[in-house]
Amino acid sequence: MRAYQDRKNAQAKVYYKDRFYVSPQLPKEEVDSDEVFAKDLATISKKAEVKEAYIQRGQLVIILENRHDIVAVAKLLKEKLTYTQLSEMSANDFLADRGEFEVFYQFLSMEKRKRLRVKYSIKEDQAVDSLYDIYKSADWAEREMYDMFGIVANEHPNLKRILMPDDWSGHPLRKSYPLQGDEDAQWYEIDTIFGKDYREVVGPEIRDTKRIDPKDTENFARIGKEVPRGANPKDFDENYDDFQEEGGVPLITRFTKKNQKTLTDRK
Amino acid sequence: MAQHKVNYMADSGLPVALTTVDKLVQWGRSNSLWALTYGLACCAIEMMASGASRYDFDRFGTIFRASPRQADVMVVAGTLTKKHAQFIRRLYDQMTEPKWVISMGSCANTGGMFNTYATVQGVDRIIPVDIYLPGCAPRPETLQYAVMMLQKKIRKQSAFQKAKTKRLV
Amino acid sequence: MQTPNRLKPFYENLAFERDDNTMIVNFGPQHPSAHGQLRLILELDGEQVVKATPDVGYLHRGMEKMAENMIYNEFLPTTDRMDYIAATSNNYGYALAVERLLGIEDKVPRRAKVIRTMLLELNRIISHLFWLATHALDVGAMSIFLYCFREREFAMDLMEEYCGARLTHSAVRIGGVPLDLAPGWIEKLRAFITKLPNDIADYEGLLDQNRIWKMRLEHVGVISAEKAIDWGCSGPTLRGSGVAWDIRKEEPYELYDELEFKVPVSDTNDSYGRYKLYMQEMRESIKIIEQLIPMYSKTEPKLMADVPEYISAPKESLMTDNFALMQHFVLVTQGMRPPVGEVYVATESPKGELGFYINSQGEPYPHRIKLRAPSFWHTSVLQEMLVGTYIADVVTIIGNLNIVFGEIDR
Repeated sequence: MRAYQDRKNAQAKVYYKDRFYVSPQLPKEEVDSDEVFAKDLATISKKAEVKEAYIQRGQLVIILENRHDIVAVAKLLKEKLTYTQLSEMSANDFLADRGEFEVFYQFLSMEKRKRLRVKYSIKEDQAVDSLYDIYKSADWAEREMYDMFGIVANEHPNLKRILMPDDWSGHPLRKSYPLQGDEDAQWYEIDTIFGKDYREVVGPEIRDTKRIDPKDTENFARIGKEVPRGANPKDFDENYDDFQEEGGVPLITRFTKKNQKTLTDRK
Repeated sequence: MAQHKVNYMADSGLPVALTTVDKLVQWGRSNSLWALTYGLACCAIEMMASGASRYDFDRFGTIFRASPRQADVMVVAGTLTKKHAQFIRRLYDQMTEPKWVISMGSCANTGGMFNTYATVQGVDRIIPVDIYLPGCAPRPETLQYAVMMLQKKIRKQSAFQKAKTKRLV
Repeated sequence: MQTPNRLKPFYENLAFERDDNTMIVNFGPQHPSAHGQLRLILELDGEQVVKATPDVGYLHRGMEKMAENMIYNEFLPTTDRMDYIAATSNNYGYALAVERLLGIEDKVPRRAKVIRTMLLELNRIISHLFWLATHALDVGAMSIFLYCFREREFAMDLMEEYCGARLTHSAVRIGGVPLDLAPGWIEKLRAFITKLPNDIADYEGLLDQNRIWKMRLEHVGVISAEKAIDWGCSGPTLRGSGVAWDIRKEEPYELYDELEFKVPVSDTNDSYGRYKLYMQEMRESIKIIEQLIPMYSKTEPKLMADVPEYISAPKESLMTDNFALMQHFVLVTQGMRPPVGEVYVATESPKGELGFYINSQGEPYPHRIKLRAPSFWHTSVLQEMLVGTYIADVVTIIGNLNIVFGEIDR
């Protein structure tokens, strides 16, 4: 029987599971413990519906109820609350657990020296609104999110693949995409350069790191005494391991292992 | 590394009895190997370091040339990704005969630590390679050792061989 | 005329000249001055650039996906290959992010902190020397390339004596450092930083008032402060536009709040100002290392944090104590299970703000790691910065922005 492959989550799973171990949660502090964050949260909750807000490891995390509020929140953050830089944005794939993506935005305020994270969840076929008009750094970040997850950003000026080739199929960072790529991925370079008929000529990729060929009798390292592949080491003389042939090369300085110098001190 | 069956000895033109003209021509070729700068990732930094002040490459007669038409040996240093694969084939085809390829570092040899969807598992799936150089990143002295091995190999080949079908083409 | 066949297909898919007299030039993925694999599609009107489209992704190796299949310690050497010029800064950023996730930041012993800060500043010097070498090579001053690489070799000798590798260090572990400094390493470091200011003065003497250098670098690559912040720039690119933001000063980590150093800021907004910044930052790094050297001897010889739940014991007790060995075995084969939550930590790498976002669901494998690389955003700013410049300035600007492709494509 062929081994069971979980199509929803094709990533490696831990072999040993501790059934009785419950992972602790990272502590979530109350927003009121920090005045700057409390004021920011108050301003934001007037504009958008906030599902949950807490401080985690020194940064305020705001979870929005509705994905369309992000444009209004971003405008507010940039103009009124001095969060002038969008450091990063991307998505987390929780399709296997909950059936949704969780998109996060990381903001930085240089004046207040504070960092803020805004998150919300979307379903697989929903799109997000692009923040390009407010923060230009969202340009490439949203392209990368589209490339890796397939999440479309509405009204983005140039939503094309950025890290993968333009004709790549599949969205690599989804959990359902295997680490070593599906069939299209594994033959991509052979198909583009030589054509599908050359798949048999070149052969499949060797992805097994522990592969040992029991019939292989020639792949030994022979460090320092390398001979061409397929040759019998006995055909080469014992001084073959020197840098140049026995007898030297005309007009070139003879460099052997014996007359090499190692400098101990440098000037 | 590739799985296809190759007769390495016959493709490199070894072993063969060499005439004096052969020896002279190959002596000239091996001592002025002009390298094509094909630095892709971290190994490119070590390649640059091996061409810089401490580990000089000029003493081998090797100059790094940017144009494939002027280069003899292509040193593939770094990870080859699937997006880039067609360009390395294009540049290899644009090099003029005689040409050799040194594959530098684990990523160029076999895909290295990046056993992922976007990495070509070994540059020899695309172009034929003469010298494989292990390391991550290999020291500059290792690259120079590889060039010396290539020089030895060249001197053992015959000078006027028609472009051997070195697999895939 | 090429006749395309299966093995020699016709790849030209970009028009050479269009109706409105703009010429499209492909600054291809393989180019001697492209600093890696940058493909720029430039539309030129004569010699001036009208539109520039950077095309990245030629070095995308899938690091973020690899992280979802490996345990936290196993991923550390992969972070080396991001910014491969100053590898320890990536390792340290990742280690700090995981330490903050676990909550063991303040349990890292003092000696480990001193060693880490020394290595970080040494990496900053290595990275800036490399920047100067390649930038000068692109602009045309080839001898600076050889001089800077000579100094860099001395610094890489120091790194090699510490951790064994010249380029891909993995010199930092989650919870501390793996190795103590070898006897004599500090003296060699001192000799190196005594000699280095003279060399920096040499390079400045060659380049500062050099007419050609000034003509090529002044008023080239101008970006205003608001645009730089908007596009996500950080590090020297941002400080060259007058914004005094350095994470070492504003959100200090490691020992930076105890050290005295200045953060140079330039308000000329152009490449020449950024060049001066880099030279000055090298001097500040030397000052920092000088302050760290006497701190080392006052620390007690403990190198890793003492948190048995997440971190293995030091080797001496592993070899003698049975429970330490059992715990180490579990941590290495299964991996440690951090708490459930997410964290974003930014450090000041030589290139800018290097951030690590780690989302953990309690499993030994991270659920998501997003690597925030400064060079990614600096490359996207090229779309704005290159418009209106001449084609010779394109090379200067790319070199001046200090981008490295391992980071951009990950």
